[in-house]
Amino acid sequence: MSESKLVWPPKLPKWGYRERVNFKTGMFFLLPWTIGFLVFTLYPMAASLLYSFSIYHPRRALEWIGLQNYADLFKDDLFWHSLSNTVYIVGIGVPLTLLASFLCAVLLNLKVRGQSIYRVIYFLPSIVPTVASTILWLWILNPQAGILNSMLESIGIDGPNWMSNPVWSKPGLILLGMWSMGGTIVIYLSGLQDVPTSLLEAAEIDGANWWQRLWHITIPMVSPITLFNLITGAIAAFQYFTQAYVFSGFQGLGYPLNSTLFYSVYPYQNGFLYLKMGYASAMAWILFVIILSCTLLLLKVSARFTYYAG
Amino acid sequence: MSIDTGHPLSVLPHPETDEEIRRRARLRKTRNFFSSLFSHTAINFVGLFFLLPFLWMLITAFKSGQDVFHTPPRWLPYDNVRVEINGEQLALYNVQTENGIRQLAAVKIIEGVGTFLDPANPGQTFEYEIQQGAVKVAEPVMHVSFRWQNFPDAMNRGSRPTVGASFWIYFRNSLIIAFFSIIGTLLSNAPVAYAFARIKFPGRDLLFIIVLATMMLPFQVTMIPIYLFFNNFLGWGDTFLPLIIPTFFANAYDVFLLRQFFRTIPEEMCDAARVDGASEWQIFTRIVLPLSVPVLATVTVFTFLWAWNDFTGPLLFLTSPRNFTMSLGLQDFQSQRTMVWNQLMAASVVFTIPIIIAFFFAQKTFIQGIKLTGSKE
Repeated sequence: MSESKLVWPPKLPKWGYRERVNFKTGMFFLLPWTIGFLVFTLYPMAASLLYSFSIYHPRRALEWIGLQNYADLFKDDLFWHSLSNTVYIVGIGVPLTLLASFLCAVLLNLKVRGQSIYRVIYFLPSIVPTVASTILWLWILNPQAGILNSMLESIGIDGPNWMSNPVWSKPGLILLGMWSMGGTIVIYLSGLQDVPTSLLEAAEIDGANWWQRLWHITIPMVSPITLFNLITGAIAAFQYFTQAYVFSGFQGLGYPLNSTLFYSVYPYQNGFLYLKMGYASAMAWILFVIILSCTLLLLKVSARFTYYAG
Repeated sequence: MSIDTGHPLSVLPHPETDEEIRRRARLRKTRNFFSSLFSHTAINFVGLFFLLPFLWMLITAFKSGQDVFHTPPRWLPYDNVRVEINGEQLALYNVQTENGIRQLAAVKIIEGVGTFLDPANPGQTFEYEIQQGAVKVAEPVMHVSFRWQNFPDAMNRGSRPTVGASFWIYFRNSLIIAFFSIIGTLLSNAPVAYAFARIKFPGRDLLFIIVLATMMLPFQVTMIPIYLFFNNFLGWGDTFLPLIIPTFFANAYDVFLLRQFFRTIPEEMCDAARVDGASEWQIFTRIVLPLSVPVLATVTVFTFLWAWNDFTGPLLFLTSPRNFTMSLGLQDFQSQRTMVWNQLMAASVVFTIPIIIAFFFAQKTFIQGIKLTGSKE
């Protein structure tokens, strides 16, 4: 350890000729990213942090109010309501979708005739543009002429008013999410294909049945993928916007009864419809902190539950 | 059955009788049959969940306005039977007349009163009320018919009646934005990824961690300042520029994807070129890029997918309908009080087709890209 004194400008470590040249070349190649990072990431972060401590309307001067926005948020019922809506999706929707996509991947990994066709069918919905798939599901869930309720009726179930009932709007959106979970299925499927067949065969010779092989070998072997999907799924769910926006249609954001006013919809509403940009920025920063801590927590907890081969 | 000799690993086979062997084979066969039956049933049943909404979208896109709200919904599109009388296509109705039910062609229906004529005897016209109380007097005669006209009808209209732009314009706008986004993404990400993969400069690893960390930043945090920057500072509101220009400044996902690929190209090739006096730029453009066509294709496909799908960006920046993208136009169309479901579905089909085509041309690229980056969303 060399003795380090605080000097300004800092003394750079002595670079050789090669390092200086490489540094210059490297910086030249990095130019697009550096400019983009400064203009589209660093500056906006600083600005929105500043806005979050102020009252800010684009046509008026910035007014510093300290932590007032944050204090107001904690007293805002709609803030808590939007948070609980998002927690619903993260806590119920994401695990359900994860489980469903794992089961789908297991099915697609079975040796059946036409396997590749099934894989295409399971995957295709995920590349339908989000606005189109949301509108399609609004039509499927339509209480009068929707195909889902008519099918439910034919087996004797009285389907709910999906879109206009605040209890059923979120399950409707989860259904839409499951229809487009092809990406997650593909990731799981590639994980299943990486499970060593030698392990499965050894277990089979030892007399383990299909269920035991799944529970004791396959599920632990794909646990890193489960973790990856869980983190990305949770992060995506916290930023759930397009589906909710399209879902409410002309009825106004959050329809019905604010049941689809998700955490990421509320800052949009405040920032761009009410022009309370400081308030919206404060919400965005809380979202950032939530996402950061969720990721760190998951990574920490995961060490105990996931198995990394090799 | 087996004989245990005491040692845990020495298990001697017990000679089975023919009967036992046959029974075991039978058992295995039935078990295989049932497990295969089960897996086929399960995979098909779940497959229906993914397939039927697609079918429903297509079928609705071909339905006539009269059939869209038919209860119970029908799995085939129905349309009014039409007959040609005096060079005009008239809709055929079942009308309850004084002499029982007759099939008459409707000339016009105004305020619940229809003017009909008999196809067999077109000289005479009759007038009937369509509905008397709860009783339907005249009901259209329907047959299975695919209404292709929905597609031009949907594409030639705007998202609302007062709007001058059509869905063709929205489609063109989406294509323009996607095209320039692809160019920007390819031009800006490749050199950055090359620097992270192949140039050894001090501070590289720290910078790369910063690149990866930006993936964690939710768009909501930067949304408002970026909006104000483009809209108020540069005055680019209601243009495509705020959607295209950022793609020219690299992004963490594509830098990561390209870097992973560049690292698989043998270092020796680059070193050999360096010894021969090639500059880094020459190595990048003459050696690395030509070897990276597959991953550049992946980036192209995913950028197209992302730009085509993007809703938040256009929602923030595009205000006048002639600048709408397909996403925004479709949402605008859907947010009207009276929803024209068959045309909405027709427009959705047109919106989805380019992606389906891209998928079938580059199926491997799609799957590979998803495996490499995780899901891009």
